[in-house]
Parts: sequence; C-alpha cells; structure tokens
Amino acid sequence: MNKLVRIAIVVAAPVGLGACSSVGAGEYGFSNYALVRVQRVKVGDGSLTVTPPRPYNRYRAFLWADVRDVEDWTLNGPYLDGISFVSGLKSGAYLVRQRKSADQQVPKFRSDMTPPEIVAMLESLYRVRGGAVEFRTLSLQPRPFLGANGFQFDYEHLDSDELWRKGRAVGAVINGKLYLILMDAARSHYYATILPDFESIVASAQMRR
Amino acid sequence: MCARCLEVSRRSLLVGGGVAAASLATGVAQARVLPRDMVPLVGPGYKPTEKDEQGIWQLMDRAEEEIAGSNLLMTDPKLTGYLRDLIGKVGGPAARDFRIYLAHIPEFNAMMFPTGFAVIFSGLLLRMRSEAQLAGVIAHESGHFLRRHMIRSWRDQRRKSDIFAIAAMAAGVGGAAGGAYLGDYVQLAQLGTVLSLFQYSRAMEAEADAMGVKLIAEAGYPPIEMANVWQQLIGEETASARYRRKRRRRGSLFDTHPSPDSRMADLKLSAAEVTVPGRAYDDGRARYLSAIAAIRPMMLEDQVKLNDPGASQYLIETLAQDGWNGLLRYYEGEVWRLRNRRGDDARAALSYAAAVAYSDAPADAWRWHGISLMKAGRMSEARSAFARYLTMKPDASDAAWVRQMIG
Repeated sequence: MNKLVRIAIVVAAPVGLGACSSVGAGEYGFSNYALVRVQRVKVGDGSLTVTPPRPYNRYRAFLWADVRDVEDWTLNGPYLDGISFVSGLKSGAYLVRQRKSADQQVPKFRSDMTPPEIVAMLESLYRVRGGAVEFRTLSLQPRPFLGANGFQFDYEHLDSDELWRKGRAVGAVINGKLYLILMDAARSHYYATILPDFESIVASAQMRR
Repeated sequence: MCARCLEVSRRSLLVGGGVAAASLATGVAQARVLPRDMVPLVGPGYKPTEKDEQGIWQLMDRAEEEIAGSNLLMTDPKLTGYLRDLIGKVGGPAARDFRIYLAHIPEFNAMMFPTGFAVIFSGLLLRMRSEAQLAGVIAHESGHFLRRHMIRSWRDQRRKSDIFAIAAMAAGVGGAAGGAYLGDYVQLAQLGTVLSLFQYSRAMEAEADAMGVKLIAEAGYPPIEMANVWQQLIGEETASARYRRKRRRRGSLFDTHPSPDSRMADLKLSAAEVTVPGRAYDDGRARYLSAIAAIRPMMLEDQVKLNDPGASQYLIETLAQDGWNGLLRYYEGEVWRLRNRRGDDARAALSYAAAVAYSDAPADAWRWHGISLMKAGRMSEARSAFARYLTMKPDASDAAWVRQMIG
C-alpha cells in the first residue's frame, strides 16, 4: 500500500518530491522497481502467491518505509495504474506506516471488521494519505476469495491533481488476518486496461501452506 | 517523501498567507486598528494604473482562468449564487467586482487574490454556524482587497525579482518557489504559493479584521460573530493537537496571524465599538443552514473520514450547540468508529442508536446501527435496521452485501 500512497503523493506533487528530497527520505524511505515475471510469485510477506498474466513492475520500498504484508505493482507507472497486495495483515496493524502524531490517520485493521469497515478504512487511506477530495463507493458485494467468504469493493475518487481514478478491491478476512488484492488506475483508459490483468491475478491467488 | 511537508502545506495556505509571515512582528504589541479608520482604498471598478500592479493583474487573470476551470470547484448555481450575494453584501465599494469560487477541499481556508477573486474551501462552509460567521470571513478577505494589501506588501518588500517566480507559477512551471513545498492541492496550492509572496504583515491582518467587523456590522450582521469564528478555530486546532499530544499544530493558522489572544481581544473591542445600540442584528443562521443543507452531509463526510478525531469531535460538538440532530449524531458515531480505540465500538454503537431516533437520520446511520447490532450478536434487531436502510436507499451501492447479511 506504500505505492498506493505514493501514487497520490507523486501525482499530487511532482514538484514537491524534488523539493522535499533535501529533507531526506522522510517517512517513506527510498524505492526502486523490479521486474515481476509471468510465473507464480510470492507477494507481500510470502503467504500469498499469484501469477501475473504479463510482466509487471514490483515497486519496492525499503528501509523503514516498508509494511511487510503489503506489496505494490504497476504496469505504466504509479501515476496511472497499480495493483497492491495485502498478504495477511494482523489485527491491530496498519496498511501504511504513519506517525502517531499525524493529525489525520488511516484507521488500524481489526480482525472483527466487517467488509463495510474495511472499505471505510480504505476510503480513509485515499483521503488521508492520497489527498482524495471526493470518494464514491460504486458497489460492495459478496465475492468468494481464497476459498473464503470475501467481498468485492468498487470505487472511484477525484484526487487533488484533478484526475479521477477508479479502483476495485477483492478481499477476505481469514483466520483473523486481512488478505486483499486491490487495483487503482486512472479512470479513463488505464482502469479498463488493467482490469483483466487484475481479475486474472485474483483468480490465480493462493494462500501458501 | 516528506509527510511533514504535507501537513505544513495544508495549513500554510490558510487564509491566504505564507507561514513565513509569522516572524515579522513576533512579540511586538501593536495598538488596535480602529474600524472607523478603515477607509476603503479602492472604489468600484478599480483597475491598476501602475506598471508593477498591472503586471500582477495580468498574471492573476491567468491564475483565475485556471481556477475557474478546475474540476475541484463546486458549481451548484444555488450555492455559488448564495456566496456571490453574500460577498455583494459585505464587499464594500468593490462588492460588484468580486468573483467567488467554491473549491471542494476539506480544509478551513479562504483566500483573496489581488485582482478581487476569492476562493473558499468547502471545509470553511462546514465550520460556519451562521451566515454572519461566513460573512465575517468573506469581509476579512474583502478587507485585504479594499486596503490594497497585496500590492502594498509587494512594494514594501521590494522583491520585484519575484515577479518571475509568479510568472513561472502562473504558467504551471514550478511550484516550489520560495522554498515552500505545496504539494497537496496542486493547482490551488501553487496559487497559494503565489499568495505567499504577498506576505501580509500582522498589521495588515489586523486591518482586515477591523475592516471586516465594520463591513458586516454595516450589513446588519452581529459583528461579534467574527470573534466567534476565531474562538471556534482556536478550539478546533487545540483539540486536534491535544488529541495527538502535541502543543499545537505546526504550520497552523496562527503562524500567519496575530497572536490568537490579542486578536480575540481586539475583535471583541472592535465589535463593541461598531455595534449601534438599539439596532437589530440578524445572524442569518436559518438562511445559512438552508443554503448549505444539501452539501452538509458531504462536508461532514469529508471531514470525518480524514480521521482527525480531536478536530472532528470538537467540530461536531460546536455545530451541535445549535441542536443535535440525526446527522450530527451519526457522524459522531463515525468519529468513534474510525478512531478505533478500546471501547470506541461501544461509543459508536451508542451514537448510531441515538442518531436513528431522530427523524432526519441519514440512511447510513441505519446501516451502521445494523452493523453494530450484528457485531453485538443482536441479529434480529440488526436485520430490521438493515431492512430500514434498504427501504430508505433501495439502490444503495452495498445493497448486495446488506441483503446477504439479512439472510
């Protein structure tokens, strides 16, 4: 989910990143990209595996930036599209690193959360860390995921760079941990482009035993 | 990335000033600016005659074009018409020349640009309790224009080379001039940087206050409401900071404005001074609430979902001083639910239960009431709450999930 945050911040502040680099890496650490090949790969902390239908770019954040259970991919760069994996987030953990003193915070995950609560947590992520000024839930419906009773969440949001983005998340809470795959892309063109990839990745997802 | 920058950037835009202005007059006690001394320096249809000001106007016209085309603007004609009428009432001699834009951004902010167009953020409308309060903020901003603060500060500081920075920004080339990182609301933030080049001194803020008090009193609003706005903002900032165990927010409103206490005192004195005994003042609360009724749920949603519990809770309680209702109780519950500390689910459940007792409870209150009941194992009550939700909102985006819960 680091990328998810980065999308919005990068997008919202192409100038600001440069301006900020002198301050140091700040809260998010440094980053780079690595190739994801068309084969079964482990994502997040390794407890989830998927097979992408075509090569992707894994976006790696390291040093202190990292949430171990979260991994981000992109096809055309984080401005335009991204797929994020949450591989068993524990109760009481956060999707992103954040300072305790930040005025606005992404809520923590709890194992007893219902899908509307998980969805609200994601919405706050976009609003708090992504600078979304408008957020619409398009649909929330039951959908099996990893053999469990999961949900599918469709949404769109207007970000502060005045671009509409659209996303879909498919997830489930299994043994008290959150498993989720999420795509978010510019609403025009890019969403439709990566949706089939996303669906094929979701269909390929397996928990590692 | 620099998260701190983000916080600062959001706040540094407040009321059209840069944080740098803070250091200008720290600790220097100033005599109060008297409202009666505040004579407008521009008349109707003002146009600049000198070269430097003409240059600024040209660039600002381009800035305005950009803002007018932004899809962050809220363009509901009823609402924008209301704001236009309001600035028409408290805009002094330039009332007919002002333009006012409403941006969908959940922050307390209003800014006046040197050519006489103002941008108001939706977060400001959420925080106002009456038309008089909003009129006070708008009149303060008008005051900056009527007293020609932008060009005066520009000339005072003799930073003519900065004109290039403005040109670059207006052209969308760079946003970090002056070292300010304004990465958040890009388009508007860049323009905020433009404004930060016209650093208002505290003396100018005091002038704008005095002018504002005078303008709203003349328009028949209780002038004390300007002081009340400040009281509310101080309260909110303090509540938010206390919640995160900080002394106060960095880059806050008070960095750019006179010290809150002396300012409050001045505003109260000025209000008393311009109040005419025996005259009836109307705060226009009912008119205001009806003007924003359609967008109030959205504005509350924007605020509460930012999960800044200290600020949100203070804000809701302040609005509730005019009476609790289903909407406010529902969002009170949302504050607890998102805060998500030990015992908060029980607090949230109580708020949802209280919300649905009001006839104006939003459909979402019924949904969350249902979820709370479900989590407490009270399934049959939960089912009827869900059913009520679906009756109120048959095409709810999560209807499929809710139906599954009903079983």
